[in-house]
Amino acid sequence: MPRPGAVIEVDRNTPPVLFHFGEGIRLEKMPLGARIVYPPDPLEPIAHPERAIKRALAKPLEDDPLKSLLRRGMKMTIAFDDLSLPLPPMAAPDVRQLVMEEVIDMAAEAGIDDLHIIAALGLHRRMTEDEVRHIVGERIFTTFHPDRLYQHDGEDLENNVYVGKTAQGEEVTLNRRAAESDLVIYVNLTLVPMDGGHKSMSTGLASFRSIRAHHNAKTLLASRSYMNPPDSALHQSCIRQGQLIEDTVRVFHIETTVNNHAFPAVANFMQKRETDWTPQDQAMFLATKQMTDIMPPAFKRNVFHAMRAPYGMTAVHAGQVDAVHDKTLEAVRKQINVPVEGQTDIVTLGVPYLGPYNINAPMNPILVVCMGLGYLFNFYRNKPVLRKGGVLILTHPCRYEFDAVQHPSYIDYYDEVLADTKDPIEIEKKYEIRFAEDPWFRQLYRKSHAYHGIHPHYAWIWAAHAMEHAGDIIFVGADRDVVHRLGFKCATTLDDAFEMAEQTVGRYPSVTHLRTPPIMLADVEA
Amino acid sequence: MAWYSEGPLSRITGVVGGAIDDVLRVRRAWHWDTPRPHTWPEQGAVVPAEASDLGWARVEPVRSIRYLIQRVLLLPFTEAMVHPKVEGREWVRELERPVIFAANHSSHADTSLILHALTDSARDRTVVAAAADYWFKRPILGNIVSLFLNTFPFSRTGGAQAQLHSSSQLLKSGWNLVLFPEGSRSPDGRIQEFKPGIGFLAKETGTPVVPMHIQGAFQIMPRHQQIPLPGPIRVRIGKPMTPGPAEGSREFTARIENAVRTLSKEPRQLEFQGSWIERWQASKPREFRYEAD
Repeated sequence: MPRPGAVIEVDRNTPPVLFHFGEGIRLEKMPLGARIVYPPDPLEPIAHPERAIKRALAKPLEDDPLKSLLRRGMKMTIAFDDLSLPLPPMAAPDVRQLVMEEVIDMAAEAGIDDLHIIAALGLHRRMTEDEVRHIVGERIFTTFHPDRLYQHDGEDLENNVYVGKTAQGEEVTLNRRAAESDLVIYVNLTLVPMDGGHKSMSTGLASFRSIRAHHNAKTLLASRSYMNPPDSALHQSCIRQGQLIEDTVRVFHIETTVNNHAFPAVANFMQKRETDWTPQDQAMFLATKQMTDIMPPAFKRNVFHAMRAPYGMTAVHAGQVDAVHDKTLEAVRKQINVPVEGQTDIVTLGVPYLGPYNINAPMNPILVVCMGLGYLFNFYRNKPVLRKGGVLILTHPCRYEFDAVQHPSYIDYYDEVLADTKDPIEIEKKYEIRFAEDPWFRQLYRKSHAYHGIHPHYAWIWAAHAMEHAGDIIFVGADRDVVHRLGFKCATTLDDAFEMAEQTVGRYPSVTHLRTPPIMLADVEA
Repeated sequence: MAWYSEGPLSRITGVVGGAIDDVLRVRRAWHWDTPRPHTWPEQGAVVPAEASDLGWARVEPVRSIRYLIQRVLLLPFTEAMVHPKVEGREWVRELERPVIFAANHSSHADTSLILHALTDSARDRTVVAAAADYWFKRPILGNIVSLFLNTFPFSRTGGAQAQLHSSSQLLKSGWNLVLFPEGSRSPDGRIQEFKPGIGFLAKETGTPVVPMHIQGAFQIMPRHQQIPLPGPIRVRIGKPMTPGPAEGSREFTARIENAVRTLSKEPRQLEFQGSWIERWQASKPREFRYEAD
């Protein structure tokens, strides 16, 4: 029986706790009385995923069985989430592949000749052929690529159509192929509560014109947090857009969830609580630590990015979007929820080597902010673990390191925009359109493997809520110049960071360490 | 300061000092010399248990040591470094009798890649033929390699009958055999002509041969390179082949070579005539009776 998440209080016997440090790791002794929050153990995966998928398609939620929706001569489109999910990428076969193979089997049986498969990547980068092949599997790739299996292009004017405006005035666009289909089947993988639901279609198959309606500083600042959809202005906006899309095109949603078994056997110690470490885990920690201490960053990156997570599927639901997503969120929460009592003065977080936007690339400083202050800080329900005005301490080397292929606009954003101002709202006013419409960035997004020109801004505003909430933000072990450019403080050691934090929160502060990844959602009670 | 810009002495001192600090810290924290503190919670299963192992090896306690080495070091290291893509594993999933694995040879990494590509049960019953004049010239090296990879000395310079005898003894004892029929590593990554010994051995012992092709090993660790680099690797396993009753050993060797060369080629582009439905149904995977396990 997998154990639920836990909050333990540090005493004299508590072993030091693992901190992720980019492409490295550290063991840090937490102060006496501090709390360490651990994620739940991985849930048992479904033993026969194919059977579960077949059942879900045969008995969908608030919708007709998929088979009855299929008819010869119809125009059908399958859309699927891109490689930003899950993290790290899943060991083959990916659950999206399993779902799509079942759906395609049914379509073949029904004799549907006009079938296209689209990677719903929104304004993310185009995937390489190998990356697409990894998600969809060899059989789908060889059968459909490239003429019937391709990637959404949010800047292709001809192939995006304007759908309309929501009651709140949010513009909605949609991929033309999807908009003109008799049936769209969306195959999703929900790792965290932010994913899935109406957001799948309204961001994955949309253009900048549509996405800017909710990807903006004002909406993000009004989301408490965007990891909790009922309290997220981002999701309310996506729901409005999604409802308009559902009125336009018939969509059948299939959502899957996986457990939080994020690390392969070689890195089991990262998955376990420190008190569970066996001598083998201790040896692996020591070996990994020495390797990451002495190897050059590029080598470590290659090793880490080659890791595939042995995720197991925990749920699959199909049918009407809201009914499906409610069940999906329930399954996700069952895996990642940890009840935490009250807020603290200081929260510490180790930022790992990987976030949704740096698969096979270094995590540049803006993405470090996005990961630490955007994603990890926002993994809460009700209220943040950190009290208002508290101090957030993160560990990451935060080097000046950019991937020119994937993140060209990030370089300009860092060098030019962040040198001017750090205020998300001011940046939006001054720079949003310039970056979004830059012809060179647009070209690289469309033809190369670059994120859209506006993407660094989205990564930055993802952290807007944390920046507004925290009294101070301190990076431990980071490059001083880089951290100052980002507008934060830098400390050499964790002890120094605690010392600095006391200037903001006073002597004897309460401290909580969130031991993530694996992913967890702190359900903070009053 | 970047790691490489420091002086070598201060760097070595720093690395060694850091490693000692880490070991001491772990030793103190996890109470190597005292009982587990009673305040620590019960240990949980945490991660699902790995698949049980069916393997055994030639001699105890080497068998157990090798088991640990392969699972803790060799296989994770191979996976982390090159994340090999394996195709055709179904051909070796349920071997009814010992086989000879015949692969192209362009790198020292080939053996690890082959072992990584095999199923647990096949790997644990597999020995690797290693060139006696190369690997066993220095006994210590030969023994270490045997400990890691379950190798046995295979003469490339004559003594065919003796080789046949020792190899057939292994096959009769239930061991699979990894052979590199080219005889030595390719100097340029291309497949060289196969030597006839493999056909002879298969014919004499009536053992099936499983052709394998490793792509990319030359790029990660060619001749004269000591340390492997990360890179894409594909290991493709072919259908087991049995020598025909009227087939000579040279003909069978040629057939094996041809099979390995065929595996090296990219899959033929499917005909684009006809609908996707026909292509999809044509590529439907075969149903295996052991799939339900």
